[in-house]
Amino acid sequence: MIQLFPADTRYTVKNDWLESSLSFSFGEYYDPTNIRFGPLRVFNDDTVQPGHGFGIHPHREAEIVSIILKGELKHEDNLGNSGTISYGSIQRITAGTGVLHSEFNASNKEEVQFLQLWFSPNEKKLKPSYEDISYDIKKLHNQLIPVISHIASEQVAGIHQDLTLYLSRLDGKNTLNFEQESGRKIYVFNIEGEISINNDFILKSRDAARITNIHEITIQGNQDSFFLLIDLPVGEF
Amino acid sequence: MLMIRHSIGSRLLCQTNIYNIEQQDDCWLISVSVDEETASKVLDFQDEINIFEVKENEKTWFYSSEAQINFQHNNKKLVILADHKTVYPT
Repeated sequence: MIQLFPADTRYTVKNDWLESSLSFSFGEYYDPTNIRFGPLRVFNDDTVQPGHGFGIHPHREAEIVSIILKGELKHEDNLGNSGTISYGSIQRITAGTGVLHSEFNASNKEEVQFLQLWFSPNEKKLKPSYEDISYDIKKLHNQLIPVISHIASEQVAGIHQDLTLYLSRLDGKNTLNFEQESGRKIYVFNIEGEISINNDFILKSRDAARITNIHEITIQGNQDSFFLLIDLPVGEF
Repeated sequence: MLMIRHSIGSRLLCQTNIYNIEQQDDCWLISVSVDEETASKVLDFQDEINIFEVKENEKTWFYSSEAQINFQHNNKKLVILADHKTVYPT
C-alpha cells in the first residue's frame, strides 16, 4: 500500500523565528493516529531565522538525525561536541541515557532549513554519542546515496536501528528502482521538484509517501527533483 | 515550579508548585498533587515522561527509565521514582 501525505496536511507551527511543519505527532500537535511509521517517530521540516535557535534542552532514547538543506546549523552538547553543519552534511545524535544540546542558526543573515528526524533506537540505555559526516553532493544525481545506516562508513553516519536513509537528485525524467527485503517499510519525502512512484503516485515538493507491503518501487522524476528514501524495519518500537 | 512534559516535542502535561522531591539512595521520589485527569494524561505517556524542576537560573531534569510512575487515588498524588537527574543552567 502507498499512502500519500501532501505537504499541506502537515501540522505547521509558526512564530517570529521558527516555521516547523510536522509529519508526525510532536509537541502540542498530538494525533493518536499519527504517532510513527515503524521506528520513524519525528519528521520535522524546520526553518529557523538568522541568529535564532533552540536553547539548551535534553533528549533521551532517540536517534536524532538532522539533514541540512540550506544555511548553517550550529550544534553544542554536554558531551563536548560542537560544530557547524551545512548542506552536504548529516548529523546523528544518539540521545540514549540522556544528552543536553542546543541548535542555533549559525548565520546572522541567512535562514537555515533542515529536516530533523527521530527514530526509536533498537536498544535502550545506549551511551550518548554524536557524529556528523559529509557526503559528496555531486554523487546524488540519478542514484540513491546512503547517508545514514546501521552499517556505517566514511560518508555514512551510523545509527542504532536497522534502517538506511538515502538521498537522491533526479535530473529531469530520470528513473530509479528501489528494492528491499519483503516485510519492510519505505518512507519517501520529496524535498524539491516533483517525482512519481510506480507511475501513479505523484509527490510534489514536501509531499511524503508511506509504503507498506510493496518491496520494490520505481521513482521517476517529473522535473529536476531532490528526495529522500528510508528503508525501515517493521515491528514493535 | 515542577513541569512534567512529554519527551517527544516537550508537550506540557502538568505544571505545579505543589510537589516534593526526596532522594532515596540513587533515586529521587517525586510526589505531585494532581487531579485525576492530569494523572491520566501523564500515565498515558509514562514511558516518555520528562520532569523538570525549574528554578531562577537552573533546571533539573529527572526521568524514570523504567516508567515507575503511579497515581495514588486516595490522596491524589502522582508518585514518580526517577533514576536520572541532570542539573543545567538556563
